[in-house]
Amino acid sequence: MVAVESTARPRAWAVVTGQELRDLWLGGRGLLLSLAFSGLLSALSYLVATNQALNFLEQRESVNLTLQVAIAVGAMLALLGGADAISGERERGSLESLLLTPVSRLELTAGKLLAALSLWIAALVVTIPYVWFLGRGIGIVGDALATGALVGTLLAIFLVSLGVLVSIFAGSNRVSLSVSLFVLLALFAPTQFPTSAQQGWAGDLFLRANPLTAGEHYVGKIVVDGHHWSQDVSWLVSPAIAAALFAVLLQSPVRASCN
Amino acid sequence: MIRRALIMSALAVSIALALAGPALSGSNRIAVTVDRTAISTSLGHKFSVRSRITNNGGSAASSLVAHLNVLSLRPDVYLDPEDWSSHRTRYLPTIPAGGSVAITWRMQAVNAGSIAVFVAVLPQNGEPRPPATGPTVHVSIARRTTLNSGGILPLALGIPALLAAVSFGLRRRRRASD
Repeated sequence: MVAVESTARPRAWAVVTGQELRDLWLGGRGLLLSLAFSGLLSALSYLVATNQALNFLEQRESVNLTLQVAIAVGAMLALLGGADAISGERERGSLESLLLTPVSRLELTAGKLLAALSLWIAALVVTIPYVWFLGRGIGIVGDALATGALVGTLLAIFLVSLGVLVSIFAGSNRVSLSVSLFVLLALFAPTQFPTSAQQGWAGDLFLRANPLTAGEHYVGKIVVDGHHWSQDVSWLVSPAIAAALFAVLLQSPVRASCN
Repeated sequence: MIRRALIMSALAVSIALALAGPALSGSNRIAVTVDRTAISTSLGHKFSVRSRITNNGGSAASSLVAHLNVLSLRPDVYLDPEDWSSHRTRYLPTIPAGGSVAITWRMQAVNAGSIAVFVAVLPQNGEPRPPATGPTVHVSIARRTTLNSGGILPLALGIPALLAAVSFGLRRRRRASD
């Protein structure tokens, strides 16, 4: 009987992802960002639970507020991870040696993208106890977490892809981070519009077209209004399109640089 | 004698009219009623008041505005009516003679305490006459703490402390291996 040795090797993108995850998490940067994130959520949930001025909020609204902040900040962390992916390597002088490894650029980018997404996954895990505490007793913890995970993941894919894309073209890491944060702030700006500007067909279209406002609106409908997940699913169209579009767009400059 | 009786009658009618006011003129032909005059609820809860604006005059009433007023009956409570209801002014359609319009005012109890709510109806042309007002709805808002504020502290401190401990442990391990 002849024993057949398995010659299966891990895929290159998995190797890159593993290496990036080790750099991010064992290097301490990911944990430091998660620590800052948990500090923010702690302050927010303590205020929601104890401050007399905020205490009039319904329990559902408290969960919604915490979840929306978690999604926004968690996705921002992922964006920062993405924005550092290529320009950071270039600035640290490690990009050339990375490009010499027998890994295609597409797999290299995919590995970096997945590692940056892990920042969002960690943020989601950190959010679970806060949402559980604020939402227990009214039966919305499961729905809130599932909706948060869905919307947050779509937004994180969109923002990480955007960050990596900016990072490919940016001349320096500072430019990459600045441009990415500027775009993020611009996307968040409509949330500060007065209520009157958010009404009417133009306001509605604007909110729906912006993946961030649309995603946060969907979360509010599920968590605060108690709607069924399929009732307002049209609000998920722009986050889903943005996630798919930017993930595909990201491949173009990478493929072009391979040729 | 007859002349004196006529003068007395005219005087009596004048006094009666002066006391009663112009019954079917101006805003007095508009009557405002509400479905209840006392509400007890808790902080943060939503409630509504249903009002009916009736035209008791002989002709149709048009171009009227109904406005919801919310105020605190205690001087130590600051209240911003905008927080209570974002839709406090309604422009009414023409109300035919003897007809009425129902309006439901939805509010959220933002402050605890003793609150008064009333509806005033006035003409759009800004005519300087007193608006027609409905009865005061007395709203008693009980303070409410839905969340266990003490219980959040271990969680709010515990999670960052746990992450800080893991971060510190990793850093020490890294230094030891270097």
